[in-house]
Amino acid sequence: MRRGFLLAAAAAIALLTACSTPSVPGSTGQGGSQAPATGDRLTIGTTADVVNYNPLVGNSRTDSWVTNLMYPHLTQMDEAGKRIPYLATEWSYSKDGKTATVKLRDDMKWSDGKPVTADDVVFAVTAVQKEKFGVVAGLITAMEKAEAVSPTEVKFTLSRPDGTFLDNVGFWLPIVPKHVFEKAPSVQKFANDANWVSAGPYKLTKVERGQRYIMERVEPFGPGQPTVKEIVFRVFPDVNTEVLALRNGEIDLIGNVLPPSTAADLKNDPKLKLVQVPSLGWAHLQYNTKRKPMDDVRVRQALAHAVDYEAIRNIALKGYAKSANSSVLTPSQPDYADPSVSEYAFDPAKSKQLLQEAGVTNLSLSMIYDQADPNIARWAPMVRDAAKQAGIEIKLQGLERNTYLDKTLKRDFDIYAGSWAIMDNPPANLGLAFKTGGFINYAQVSDPKLDKLIDEGQRALTREEAKAPIQEAAKIIHDQVYDNVLYVETFNIAHSIKWTGFKPMPSELLSIVNPLSLAAVKPAS
Amino acid sequence: MTAVVTDLTPRQRTWTAFRRNPLGLASAAILLALAVIALCAPLIAPFPEGYGEDTFQPPSAEHWFGTDDIGQDVFAQVIWGTRVSMAVGLSASVLAIVIGLVVGICAAYFRRLDTPLGVLVDLSLSLPVLPLMILVAALAGPSVRTLVVVIALFSWPEVARVVRSSAMAIVPMPFVSAAKVIGGSAFWIVRKHLVPGVVPVVGVSVVLTTSRAVLAEAGLSFLGLGDPNSWSWGTILHKAQQSGALASAWWTTLFPSLAILLLVLSTTLLSVAYNDARNHRSAS
Amino acid sequence: MRFVVTRLLRGLLTLWFAVTVTFFLVRLLPGDPVLAVADPNMTEELRAKLLADFGLDQPLGVQYLNYLAQLVQGNLGMSFRQSIPVTTVLMDRLPWTLILTGSAMLVTIVLGIPLGVLAATRAKGWVDRVIQLTGVTAQSLFVPSVGIFLMYVMGVTLGWFPIGGAVDLDATGPAAWLSMLHHLVLPCLSLVLIQLGGYVLTMRSTLIEALGEDYVALAKAKGVKPRAVVWKHALRNALLPTTTIAGLQLGTLVGGAVLTETIYAYPGIGRAIYEAVGQLDFPVLQGAFVLLAAAVVAANLLTDVAYGILDPRVRTS
Repeated sequence: MRRGFLLAAAAAIALLTACSTPSVPGSTGQGGSQAPATGDRLTIGTTADVVNYNPLVGNSRTDSWVTNLMYPHLTQMDEAGKRIPYLATEWSYSKDGKTATVKLRDDMKWSDGKPVTADDVVFAVTAVQKEKFGVVAGLITAMEKAEAVSPTEVKFTLSRPDGTFLDNVGFWLPIVPKHVFEKAPSVQKFANDANWVSAGPYKLTKVERGQRYIMERVEPFGPGQPTVKEIVFRVFPDVNTEVLALRNGEIDLIGNVLPPSTAADLKNDPKLKLVQVPSLGWAHLQYNTKRKPMDDVRVRQALAHAVDYEAIRNIALKGYAKSANSSVLTPSQPDYADPSVSEYAFDPAKSKQLLQEAGVTNLSLSMIYDQADPNIARWAPMVRDAAKQAGIEIKLQGLERNTYLDKTLKRDFDIYAGSWAIMDNPPANLGLAFKTGGFINYAQVSDPKLDKLIDEGQRALTREEAKAPIQEAAKIIHDQVYDNVLYVETFNIAHSIKWTGFKPMPSELLSIVNPLSLAAVKPAS
Repeated sequence: MTAVVTDLTPRQRTWTAFRRNPLGLASAAILLALAVIALCAPLIAPFPEGYGEDTFQPPSAEHWFGTDDIGQDVFAQVIWGTRVSMAVGLSASVLAIVIGLVVGICAAYFRRLDTPLGVLVDLSLSLPVLPLMILVAALAGPSVRTLVVVIALFSWPEVARVVRSSAMAIVPMPFVSAAKVIGGSAFWIVRKHLVPGVVPVVGVSVVLTTSRAVLAEAGLSFLGLGDPNSWSWGTILHKAQQSGALASAWWTTLFPSLAILLLVLSTTLLSVAYNDARNHRSAS
Repeated sequence: MRFVVTRLLRGLLTLWFAVTVTFFLVRLLPGDPVLAVADPNMTEELRAKLLADFGLDQPLGVQYLNYLAQLVQGNLGMSFRQSIPVTTVLMDRLPWTLILTGSAMLVTIVLGIPLGVLAATRAKGWVDRVIQLTGVTAQSLFVPSVGIFLMYVMGVTLGWFPIGGAVDLDATGPAAWLSMLHHLVLPCLSLVLIQLGGYVLTMRSTLIEALGEDYVALAKAKGVKPRAVVWKHALRNALLPTTTIAGLQLGTLVGGAVLTETIYAYPGIGRAIYEAVGQLDFPVLQGAFVLLAAAVVAANLLTDVAYGILDPRVRTS
């Protein structure tokens, strides 16, 4: 206490002198606004601290950005969403689809010198399966066991053919060092908050909570040596401050997606460059099909006709959004997209007519959303105002995030407004979202015909085989309005023109802060 | 200063002194104007809703305060925001005053309650107010009612302290003892003697607590804990922040900020002027 | 001696009260802490085990007593979200809050006293009016608005000060101190702006009162120079109420720094609280409140001591 006060006093006295001479010599922010980038350090702005360093648990964006640089995955995704090698070099299914094999590269090492082997992969996937936590647990229900055939080969035994398995495990599962994590009584509860043993392109060397996270290049790094020596994540309160700092030259890149209006504003700044990456998810409204009168498909269709989709995309998202034709197979999934479906038209008259047919009058519903989500907070009132034209009253319930999640989990809502971040694999994702009892089946859809089609799609071992049943399933979802897809956002990421060579990947999570991109980036000369 | 006419009642004297203070008068006029705006909002501007193509337009003849990110008129938002901000401020303040008055007078009149209540007030004053407000507002869910209750809940101790000390000065007065002797009930004495005695202090308190409540409301709304269905000045700022345009579209932040400043400033000046007018030592 | 003991006891009582109020407030409100701790995906027994680990399966009364028992030993529990001790979370942040509020307070006092004296000695003149009006106006400012304005003008347009943060990464030794001050200027200035008015006004009114007292007249009659009268005699008395506000304000200041710390990305306790609310991280919240209450108690004790130095009557009575 006393030392603190003395410190404060000293600081304040010195401050007075600083006040009289405003231009303090020396340090003027990282890099300074005019100096060219040297390749020594890339500073990334983020709006949150790392909450959990355990990559198997952490799920906030900042958590993932930092841990993705520390822990390898089996595969990565290219710009088109296709899986490409990372720790894994090849992967395949057996003929009957009940075994999957993955071959690993042999030149990756943990930062304590031990090699990264098949044992680490088996350990990670088995821990997740045993303790059932994180995203991956819901995606590997078909797995019976995983075993290391050799230090560079893993064999997964599946209980049923599942063509989504390798895509899911490869992309989502972070590989952690067995010899470190196995010492914890529970892998899920392992904080992993110091003395990190990592194997990604960068290692975390210093943490100043509330301020910054400093990561150093790993040399040598098998999959490809990064150019930049040091990556720093700096914490800001919101995008507004990040933009000021970027324009001031204090950071080189804003990790967070820019709000559409900010993107429109920064587009013409000659010192900045905007990179556009498509979303792998979509923004949507879901109608609780277990609540009257929304159990009636005509009412759901009436609601779908009472949304001004164009206005939401053009005004709330400033045009940085694509129509998905009201289909869950969005343009981000070119392999699956079905050109024959079309978007519900904004047509209040039709909406009224449908309600009349359903015998519903004075429809009044409430809509929940996360008030902290800037896009949704912006278009939620637009949904309300458009519905009013069709004689439907929608009461907004912009909730604090935890309350919102709670209500969502308990399915305690009439209309749910939200967005899904990554729906990278239609057969797997449709299963979670629309199959009876699915983990994120918020609309409480229970349609045997739909369930059957999705199962069929999941059993298929290739995309070609999965396409037909999945398209048919998506058509049912469209016609029954089990999901009302509003748009697929085009994310804008801003960086300083002092840097070049980023490798954009779809989704907010990967964008240009994915490991491949940060390994490839270099100073523009 | 000219000699004060002696046959005026204290209230008249205060009023005469108050009228000589141009700042006080101006503040009163501004507050009155804000109150009129709040009451007549529907006559001044349509309720801000819907959306338009003219997004982020700077102030112009058509949109005096410019437009926001979905093309709504910021002027209309500020006008309707006056209503909510003042309503929240006033109701929170009234609620806080009622609690503070009861606690303060009880502490002054019933001597046995004085120590526990005094300690309670002191302890409550030592709680970190804003963080607690954030906590309660976040967990109780955003609505105008929540804001009012939360703000009042953490504002009453200040009032109670002021009321107590001024009531303490009245309790030993001969007319109170006299009332006790002739067997007046406690409630009657409090109503007849104590409440009128503390009214001037409470008057100042209402004004100051309201301005503090307006600031608190703005702070909570700014942090995203406001009511999404209504417009307050803090909500406008919050939406501007969410749109990422705090610095570029300066009109979306400047006008609500000015509105807050105007209200808080005029309430403070009004209370200063009123205190000056009442306190003749500093006036002469 | 008795004076010190009563004050200490009172401080402890305040602390206990703050702990109790916040403990129950945090737990009685809607919002399920289980949600923060347990993944909805996980199995029932794992969930139960996790809750047991955090003591969330116990009745509220038991949880409360456990908390108090741990608190006495200086243990604030484990963060729900970060799986590390709350004390670690908070101790990372505390120095920054102390630096920010401490410096803001010092600057306020250093500026507030002369301004108050100036206003009081020229009461009713234009200097007095300007000082009063400026003070009151600054006091009525809304912190986030000021923050954005200052950062935009002084940071981006003029390029004098950095945007957010507390210290530069590369700075070491004396450069680190400079960098710290450099980052401190804007947040500190915001805090000073909003609290300076209160000091100046109190200083002014008490000084005017003091200047009217008999001993001042006596000193004047004895031929003491007017300047000396103000600075030596009247000021000493006027400092008493000012000290009281200072003590009272330090507590609220630490809590009130939430908005300032949030807008300037200053890594202090206030921002930690705001983040913890969003994450329903009850132990961190609870710990932060304990810390803030302790700060208030300490500030009040300091005020009492200062009072004793300024006014010997307090010590003897």
